[in-house]
Amino acid sequence: MTDSAVMVEAKGLRKVFKGRRGDHTVAVDDLTLTCRAGEVFGLLGPNGAGKTTSLRMLSTVYRPTEGVATIDGHDVTSDPESVRKSIGFLSGNTGLYPRLTAREVLTYFGRLYGMDDGAIEARIAHLAQLLDMDFLEKRCDKMSTGMKQKVNIARTVIHDPAVLVLDEPTAGLDVLAARTIVDFVKDCRTRGKCVIFSTHIMHEVERLCDRLAVIHKGRMQFDGTLEQMRATHGHDLEDAFISVLEAA
Amino acid sequence: MNARRVMVIAKKEFKDVLRDRRTLIFMVLLPLLVMPVMFLGIAKFAQEQQSKKQSRTLRVAVDSNVEPMITALADQWMAENSPRLMITSAKIGLSFPAAGGDRKGLGTMIEQVRDMMDGGADAASLADLDPDLVESGVRLAREIDPADKALFDDASTISTFRTKTEFILIEDLEPSETRLPAGVEVPDDLPESWDGEQLARAIQDKTIHAAIHLPSNVFDMLEDQRASVPFSVFYDESVSLSEEASDRLAAFARIVGNGLLEMRLADNGLAPQFAEPIVFEGADMATPSRRVQAFLGGLLPYMIIMFSFFGAFYPSLDLTAGEKERFTMETLLLAPVSRMELAAGKFVVVFVAAVVAAVLATTSLGLTFTQGILPQGVAAGFDIQFEPEAVMLTAVLLIPVSALFAAVLLGVALLARSFKEAQSYTAPLQFIVILPAMAAMLPDLEAELHLAWIPFLNVSMLMRELLKGNYLWDFFGITMLSMGLLTLLTIWGASLIFRRETVILRT
Repeated sequence: MTDSAVMVEAKGLRKVFKGRRGDHTVAVDDLTLTCRAGEVFGLLGPNGAGKTTSLRMLSTVYRPTEGVATIDGHDVTSDPESVRKSIGFLSGNTGLYPRLTAREVLTYFGRLYGMDDGAIEARIAHLAQLLDMDFLEKRCDKMSTGMKQKVNIARTVIHDPAVLVLDEPTAGLDVLAARTIVDFVKDCRTRGKCVIFSTHIMHEVERLCDRLAVIHKGRMQFDGTLEQMRATHGHDLEDAFISVLEAA
Repeated sequence: MNARRVMVIAKKEFKDVLRDRRTLIFMVLLPLLVMPVMFLGIAKFAQEQQSKKQSRTLRVAVDSNVEPMITALADQWMAENSPRLMITSAKIGLSFPAAGGDRKGLGTMIEQVRDMMDGGADAASLADLDPDLVESGVRLAREIDPADKALFDDASTISTFRTKTEFILIEDLEPSETRLPAGVEVPDDLPESWDGEQLARAIQDKTIHAAIHLPSNVFDMLEDQRASVPFSVFYDESVSLSEEASDRLAAFARIVGNGLLEMRLADNGLAPQFAEPIVFEGADMATPSRRVQAFLGGLLPYMIIMFSFFGAFYPSLDLTAGEKERFTMETLLLAPVSRMELAAGKFVVVFVAAVVAAVLATTSLGLTFTQGILPQGVAAGFDIQFEPEAVMLTAVLLIPVSALFAAVLLGVALLARSFKEAQSYTAPLQFIVILPAMAAMLPDLEAELHLAWIPFLNVSMLMRELLKGNYLWDFFGITMLSMGLLTLLTIWGASLIFRRETVILRT
């Protein structure tokens, strides 16, 4: 694993939001992490810890106030377009266009990623088979939550990115829909993708993550393997997680 | 900026907004239907109101001191001069207490005439009663109601007149809304007397529609011939039917006055022209099409500007705050497109929607006036043609107007977290636009050059002048410069908002 290429690298990332009255909020401070190809990197933290802000910086939606980060060798600040071409981002905040069909959504994003129509068609056919999507002509507002999740996954990987950033992708999903995501993450790892996976759910971390980081109050509190965390903070992952938070 | 990506975004946004019912209503349906519906509705409503008003029998109070005078006046006319007053009053529908009560005054007079006719008095004996009866009756009837003129065209024969006379008398004795459409009646259930305040209140609450007062020495004054008799009518202009009663009574007074004048002139051996040495004859040289052009020249700019705004309204909200609400904004931001490309793609869609709505509204307005949608009377004279150059330049003016709306609405709506919040941010903008857009409706507001710097007011006035065929090139130049600068400034402002990450992701 350690010989795999470094796909995500962040050094000293800091994000400060300016308030209307001149006050400042430090959402993320001195975030440093590395993630390699074929690795699932878990990002844990309570609500408001700075997980989403960190992932948004890595995916170029937010510009870091300080620090540097590269995705597949592209700098998030100076070459955001190349970064976005290299990543697929899925979260509870990445919705679908309700008035478009699944095929229209996937075609739209394929075009935005610069794919030609033939390649898009072939990719859609492949993903439809992989994710068992027989509802490509259905409008998104007529779909069940599970169907939408599948379309969203397909949208995330339409351009076959090397890095996947998944921000609490199973939040609010039922068991079946959540299982689709978990299977998808496993498949990505098998195919050598680099996956950053943010979650609250400890058993997902246990089942999926090769390494994990705990972030709290905007700062990284732990970075290592599951075994290292258990060795330092206790065998039960939830207890270990709380122990890390309390130590912060 | 990559034009291909901008077009990919624009194409998708078009598809998306065209599937939105609200956008379709505001961009297509409303501009297409509002004009025919509005004009047809207003025309029908106005026609109905007018005919309803005219068919009402109005209640008029007569000063208790005056009522005998009016009836005596009528009696006197009957006895001494001619029954012209009878015919006059019958035609305008002034009826006095009839069946069941004491018939006095005019009522008595009418009854007498009818009795004479029922009793076998033939046309010749009627004419014998007053040698002027036939001629004067026909003339006055013509004066009073030109619509009935055809009935009197053959009145040179005694039989025609007699038929008509009988018809009038019967109507007058038995007033009803169907047979006496433009009636005025004096109710017999009114109190003995009213003070001024009570009278005003009675008119306001529609117990009566007007009240008549004459001076007590009316006959002396008439005899004296050196003073005009004031025929006072108390009415309330804010009450539509009261105004109508006043109009009818004014017509009555005018007819009676004319009759008196003519008689006085005849008594002195003078022709009617003696009292009217000069006749004013105004001739409006404006063709019907010019009059319509002037009317549309004021209305069209307002319509074009407002529909451009309405056309841009929903798409701009849907593509900004709507995206945030549906959580698709972040999805889009993760695609390899710059914020500027994103803003440009959305701008193209909103701009086109604004242009389409304005063009559809204008086309619909044109069709409404030219394709026989309006009732005959309303559409008369609407066969106008605007010069192609004027239409072209008006279309050119639509470009900065629509671009400005697109940029402002996109920028402001993007500040909102939800569609609803965006509505509350953007709705007040229309009030900023309405007033200057209405400038063209003020006919006395001249297109002075310094006004060309005021956004929307300049466009509104310039469109008005263009549609009238006035090509004010210096005004046009300043208008384009002013609107162009403001549009660029607004687009720059909107692009700044699109670049603010805390705004674009605010949910």
